Amino acid sequence: MKTKNLEIGRLGEAIAKRYLQDNRYTIVAQNYKTKYAEIDLIVRHKDILVFVEVRTRIGERFGTPEESINRKKINKLIKNARGYVAGKRYNKGYRIDVVCIVLDENKKVKRIDHYRNITF
Amino acid sequence: MLIKVSSVSNSGLKSIGIDVEVNVANRGLPAFEIVGLPSKAVDESKQRVRTAIVNSNIEFPARRITVNLAPADVPKEGSFYDLPIAVGILTSVIGCKLPEESLFFGELSLDGTLRHTKGALLLSLFAREKGIRNIFVPRASANEAAIVKGVNVYPIENVSQLLSYFMGEIELKPAEYQEGKDDWISTQAEFDMAEILGQEQAKRAIEISASGGHNLLMIGSPGSGKTMLARALPGILPTLREEESLEVTKIYSVSGYFPPEGSLIKTRPFRAPHHTISQVGLIGGGPRPQPGEVSLAHRGVLFLDEFSEFPRSVLEALRQPMEDGYLTISRSRERANFPARFILIASANPCPCGYLYHSKRQCLCTQREIEKYRKRVSGPILDRIDLHVEVPVVDIKELAKDRRFKDRLESSAQIYRRVMKAREIQKNRFIDEKIHTNAEMKNRHIKKYCNFSKEVKQLLQQAGVSFQLSARSYYKMIKVSRTIADLEASQDITVSHMAEALQYRPRIQERVM
Repeated sequence: MKTKNLEIGRLGEAIAKRYLQDNRYTIVAQNYKTKYAEIDLIVRHKDILVFVEVRTRIGERFGTPEESINRKKINKLIKNARGYVAGKRYNKGYRIDVVCIVLDENKKVKRIDHYRNITF
Repeated sequence: MLIKVSSVSNSGLKSIGIDVEVNVANRGLPAFEIVGLPSKAVDESKQRVRTAIVNSNIEFPARRITVNLAPADVPKEGSFYDLPIAVGILTSVIGCKLPEESLFFGELSLDGTLRHTKGALLLSLFAREKGIRNIFVPRASANEAAIVKGVNVYPIENVSQLLSYFMGEIELKPAEYQEGKDDWISTQAEFDMAEILGQEQAKRAIEISASGGHNLLMIGSPGSGKTMLARALPGILPTLREEESLEVTKIYSVSGYFPPEGSLIKTRPFRAPHHTISQVGLIGGGPRPQPGEVSLAHRGVLFLDEFSEFPRSVLEALRQPMEDGYLTISRSRERANFPARFILIASANPCPCGYLYHSKRQCLCTQREIEKYRKRVSGPILDRIDLHVEVPVVDIKELAKDRRFKDRLESSAQIYRRVMKAREIQKNRFIDEKIHTNAEMKNRHIKKYCNFSKEVKQLLQQAGVSFQLSARSYYKMIKVSRTIADLEASQDITVSHMAEALQYRPRIQERVM
């Protein structure tokens, strides 16, 4: 089960990466490991650095991917982003996005939603 | 980019200038913060400003926005910082220039329109005082602000309209003051004096009270017409003088009772709070001092029906404003001065059952009960009331008979004319003084303006001794007699004027048997 979830996660991240590329985002890093945790995707849009958290679910019977982002998770995302920015001595604007992906039983994309700037 | 927008902060009836500094930074995680001691209402302005801008089809900048309300150590309250904050954000994003010498003021609605906001009059008074030429206020508050001449008041409908003005796409015309009705302010007279049968003495006392600004206490049995008399009073009150109008309008503007698109208040306010009122409700107060009923009744009438039912502490708090005509409310955070020059009209029953001194019915109260009842209103308060009058019961037979002579009774309009004449005399008399009415006279005014003969003086002294008048009521009697003389347009106070005044003397000692 554990490996299966991980697998779905990896699949989702790949879908999100392609989706963002299609929307003219440049990929900076994938699964970047900071001191605290992993950042799913780091991309760049114009001159703004975007930290992307990808949430993937098969079906929405056990809750939507959006629901899985709570205050605690958001704080963690902010902490991660700050850690990255501080480490790289990055000095411009940045934001945090969430991409939610719902797959059907055949692992085909049912819907994909991009939430920009969730901390604002 | 840093933008400075000017606005004001109102504390009591005073305003201080506030700089709303808006910084939109290009670095860091997007955020929106307000510093400079904002209260909850100011802090919540973040949500209103953001939603209003988005709903005006303008993109809200996803940047780090810091708003500073300077000076930072003055607590900020109110919803009117919405507009200056929104203006700061928009101009820094779009990069247009702000008009110089301008103040911004107004609460935003979520759809981007501006709502009527309390205190617009204080803003324009502040602008005139400081020589600031332009003020931008919500359209619904523009007429209120335009009362002040010499300031360009720009009425703003919504955010996008203001933005087009900044970009030079449209022209805005300053609002012109429109005279309007002020019928929202007071309960208009519910009765005409001609509708009240009998009660000649009480009517006369009310006329004197309205003419000279004297306080009045009516004592009578239930149903004798005390409330009816008081409710007829607005019909004979003189209209406000120009400078008084502005004073009253200012109080109503900060208290938030001023309606949208309202104009200068011309009629005297008539306030009749219920006897369950709290001390703060009557006097004013709160952590940020707000005017109470005494200030809302400034230059008008404060009618306290069932006077002895009011809590003792509430009534005692009336002492200073009754004497000084203003009050200072001091709280830990700030203090405020509010004017409170009102005519107190009080009415009470003579005893708990109400039928003491009744011609037909028997009073059921014990002596002890009556004494206890009397003690509810303290001597110092009664001593500050110039006119004490008994309102006897009207005989039902008389009532039926008198209906026919109704046309002969004086109407409010007739009495009003006399009152206005008496006020005119007082206006000319006190033209070089700061006071308006006889009741406001201090001892030096009495010396200067109240001439009477030896006989009058003798009468007064005799009365003073035998009725045990206090020094205060001694002088009050002179003031009342001055008003009675004014009603007859008499230069000097004669014996008959003084004799009539003495009829209305405080009767505390005689009342407690």
